[in-house]
Formats: sequence, structure tokens, C-alpha cells
Amino acid sequence: MSAMTTESTASPEPASSSAGHSHGHGGSLPGPTFFRVLNSELIKFRSLLSTLILLAATAVVMVGFGALSAWGTGQFANAASRDPQAAVRAASQGGDLAISVPTSGIAFAQLILGSLGVLLMSSEFTTGMARSTFAAVPKRLPAFTAKLVVVMVVSFAVTALSTWVAGLVAVPILDNYGLKLDLASSESVKLLLVNSIYVAAVAAIGMALGTLLRNSAGGIMSLVGIFFVAPIAFQLIPGDFFKEARKYLPGNTVEPLTAAQHVPDTLETWQAALVLGAWVVIPVLIAAVLLKRRDV
Amino acid sequence: MIEANGLTKVYGAKTAVAGVSFTVRAGQVTGFLGPNGAGKSTTMRMIMGLDRPTSGSVTVNGLPYVKHTAPLRQVGALLDAKAVHTSRSAYNHLLAMAATHGIPKCRVHEVIEMTGLDAVARKKAGGFSLGMGQRLGIAAALLGDPQTLILDEPVNGLDPEGVVWVRNLVRYLAGQGRTVFLSSHLMSEMAQTADHLIVIGRGRVIADAPIRDIITGKGQARVRVRTDQPDRLRQLLAGRGASIEVPEREMLEVTGLEPKAIAAAALENQVMVYELTPLTASLEEAYMELTKDDVEYHSLPAAEVSK
Repeated sequence: MSAMTTESTASPEPASSSAGHSHGHGGSLPGPTFFRVLNSELIKFRSLLSTLILLAATAVVMVGFGALSAWGTGQFANAASRDPQAAVRAASQGGDLAISVPTSGIAFAQLILGSLGVLLMSSEFTTGMARSTFAAVPKRLPAFTAKLVVVMVVSFAVTALSTWVAGLVAVPILDNYGLKLDLASSESVKLLLVNSIYVAAVAAIGMALGTLLRNSAGGIMSLVGIFFVAPIAFQLIPGDFFKEARKYLPGNTVEPLTAAQHVPDTLETWQAALVLGAWVVIPVLIAAVLLKRRDV
Repeated sequence: MIEANGLTKVYGAKTAVAGVSFTVRAGQVTGFLGPNGAGKSTTMRMIMGLDRPTSGSVTVNGLPYVKHTAPLRQVGALLDAKAVHTSRSAYNHLLAMAATHGIPKCRVHEVIEMTGLDAVARKKAGGFSLGMGQRLGIAAALLGDPQTLILDEPVNGLDPEGVVWVRNLVRYLAGQGRTVFLSSHLMSEMAQTADHLIVIGRGRVIADAPIRDIITGKGQARVRVRTDQPDRLRQLLAGRGASIEVPEREMLEVTGLEPKAIAAAALENQVMVYELTPLTASLEEAYMELTKDDVEYHSLPAAEVSK
């Protein structure tokens, strides 16, 4: 019986004709154009609940820390206005305390979205999905590039949006303590953009690690090693080499990129931009080359 | 059409596939039979461009798989029922696969209906039974309405109804002139589904013939002969077109001659024969014999190394 139903429904004729009408994108080319692969990666991205949870977690953490930091900054400013000692400390931290409030949760955003970058590629291998992905796109690099674009654009957008919302939440709280935060000022916009680009860069590094290691735990641990362990370890190890090397860690490129004036013991702005760029380009290129060459 | 030429895959010290050559033709179901670990899956992954051959080459419809402009429309493959992200629904999995080739949503619904996945299409693929996973894999293979289908152990884990369904599906697809290449370690499954059989063991092609020939033993029939004059009998039989192996002293394995003809030749020339045994009565037996050899060879790594 079932065999009979199969034979009647398995007719490929309507299939081939409907497939024939499907060339909406890419003209008459029936194959995987970059736009189609990008669309496929977007479908894959949004159809995983875990991905959406990580994005929501980023927003919650960013906004939460923004509010918390606004409150703390207000308290600090309040104390400073009464206590001359605290006022000295406040002055030594630079004049405008409020400006960095919206991005105060950035360390957590980079950890979450960097891990997301790792997971998006490592889970392809741990679940076996990679065999489907790279059978559909046997040239492999279009799928890698499309995934990279999705990861970076989404990370940038989520960071920028949650930074902005964190700012919106922080403004009335800071206002309570008589502190002004102008979200439209060029300083605010620069902080938002640089931090969002930075988090997108971390996500790209995460994806490269996920591609190279093909293992979620290993990828995330490597990421934590680069962004959280290495800066502390380099500080603890005595000697000028590590003091110098510490400047070149990707996590230490944000400060020179956002500071109004040069901060001691950091790179120049242009150097920081190059170093962060290298931290993205080199692992991504190695990952791409090895992905192309290795067996899936 | 799939053409493999000297296809070899070496993983470290282990040779998974050792110089395999074969042709899978359109319009028939070609079975790929071999015990577990014989190199079937590795060969199929190499066809699909997922594993890079150590040497040799394989083409599908004249081109390496990677070179096709629309690979999913050329070849549909079920390589592994678990080639799915466990947290994604079957529907979204198929939708993402279809999107790479601009295959419309209606085709996704078609293959879901065709494979009987309607009831579970919105559920996470990770919770699927092996049988459901196989159906999802087959649905993905059919998405691009390909001319060539490669199915690795498609009936694994299917219930009896599913087994019959796959059997009918592949026969139907081959009947439309498509190339169907189907692997299994189950002889009985092949006997009922395949038109042509490629048998693989220890990474080598052992037999490549129409299934009818293999079942009737035509051209494959071997006869074990024991005689006290092996050299003389060997010459005699070779003169009659048989091919002969000498596995032991006083023992010949003769291919291409019926026992009666061998006995007649021995009698005419007064050669004493003290055993005359037909070796391959059925495909099942031949296959069991092959599997047994496989196990024996595994216990003799030295023999493997010297090859």
C-alpha cells in the first residue's frame, strides 16, 4: 500500500518544473550563488533557538550593565561632590564618567557573541550538519564566507542596538545624579561604533577558532584564553617582553581606538586598528584555507 | 553515471579504500555491498567531494562533484542520517538546504510529503528515531530532483514498511533513467533491490557484475579440486579456458568450469581427483565467505602490510 502511494507521489515531474521556476535570484544559474548561500546561512542562523537565546542574553546583559553602571557612576559622582579625596580620584579617571556607561557590559557581549561565533561553526561539525552544508556548497568557501558575514553583521547589529538601548536606559538614571549623557554626541557615536565593530571582530575570531578546532568547548576555551586569561597572565609575568606584548592582544586594542587622547602603555590608534585587523584576518584566512583542504 | 578510477583513501596507517575503479550506470539500481568497514562510506564521501582522495579520481556525469555548477541538482546524497543539526527542525533544515540552490518552498513541502515526514517536520531533528532520520536524509537527497542518487545504508533503522518504501522508491527512480547507487552490508537487501552489484571488501572491489550473474554464479562459480597431480591438472584445465588459483599444495580453485567438465577432463587424462566441491552456491554464501575472509585478514596484520 505504502509502496503504491510512494509511486504516485514520488513523481519528479512537478518537482523539476517547479525547480525550473525557482531562479528568482541569480538569473538562470541553477546553483549556489553567494546570495543564495547567504540566505541559507540566515535561515540556519534564525532557526536555532540557542542562537536567539544568546542574542537576547547579550542585549539583557548590555542593558543591565548599562543601568547598573549608570547608578554606580551616579553614586560615585555624588560622593565625589562631597568628598574631596573622591573628587581627586574622579578627576584622575578623566572628566566624563558618563560617556562609557552604555558600553560597560561590552566584556560580556564579546564573550557571548564570540562564543556564538565558535558555536555556529563547531556545531556544524559536532552534529554532522557540515556534511549537508558542504555537500550543498562543495566549494566550501562561499558557505564559510556567508556564515562569517552573518556572524559579523549580527554581532555588530546586536551590540550597537543594545548599546543604544543601554544608553537610553542610562540617561534618566544619570540625570537623577545631575550627570549629562548625550547619546548623539560624536564621542558617544564613536564609542558605540568602535565597540560594535570590536565585538563583530571577536565573533569572527570565534568563528575561525570553531572552524579550526571543530570543537565547541575547545573553541570557547581558546577564545577565553585570548581575551580573558592572556591579558591577566601577561600582566603578572614580569619582564618587558610581556608588558610590550600585552599591547598587541586584541582585547587591548579597544582603548586606544576609543580614547580621546593617547593612553599610556597602549598602541597608537592606527596601530591598534591594524593589530585588531590582523587578529581577525590571519585566523580567518588560516581557517578558510584549512576548511577548503581538510576532509569534512 | 558515476565513474571511479583508482580511487584511494589512506588515513594515517590505515588504507580505507585501495585503488577502487568502477562505473555506476544510469537507469538501474547499483548496489554497493560490503561488510562494515569495507570502505563504502569513504568511497561515497569521496564521490561527494567531502573527503579528498589520496589518489585516483571520481566523476559524476563526467565532472568531479565539486565542479558542477548546481551540485544538488546533479546528485542527491544520503550519507549519514545524522548529517543534520540536532536542534533544528526538519522543515528548517530542508529549507536551508533548498535555499542554497534557490529551490522553492513548495519543493520542500513536496519532499516532506513524499517521505512521510509531515507529522514531525516542525520538530527538532535531534529527537528523531533512526528511521525518521533516514527519511529526512532521503528527503534532503531528493530536494534538487537530481539525476543521480547516492544512498549510504538507507534502510538502516527503517521499519519493514519503510524498507519496502525505499526499495520501491529507488526502483522507481532508476526506472526513470536516473543513476541510483545504494550501499548496504545486507546481502538479502541487495538481492531484492539492486540490478547490478559492486562488492567491496578491505577497500578493494571484489565483484562487479549484474546481480543475476552473481546469484546464479555465472562466471563466478568456483570449484575446489584436490588432486595428487595439481600441476598436470592445472595445465589441462587452463587449456579449457578456466582460471586457476593454487591456495594449497594438491588443491586448485577453478573458476569458469563446471564440476562435471573438470571431472571429465581429469578422467580423460587419468588424473586422480579426491575432492570436487562447488564453492559459491549463492550470493549469500559468497558474501559470507567474503566477510569471513575479512575477519581472518584483520587478525593477520602482516598480510595486510605485505600487500
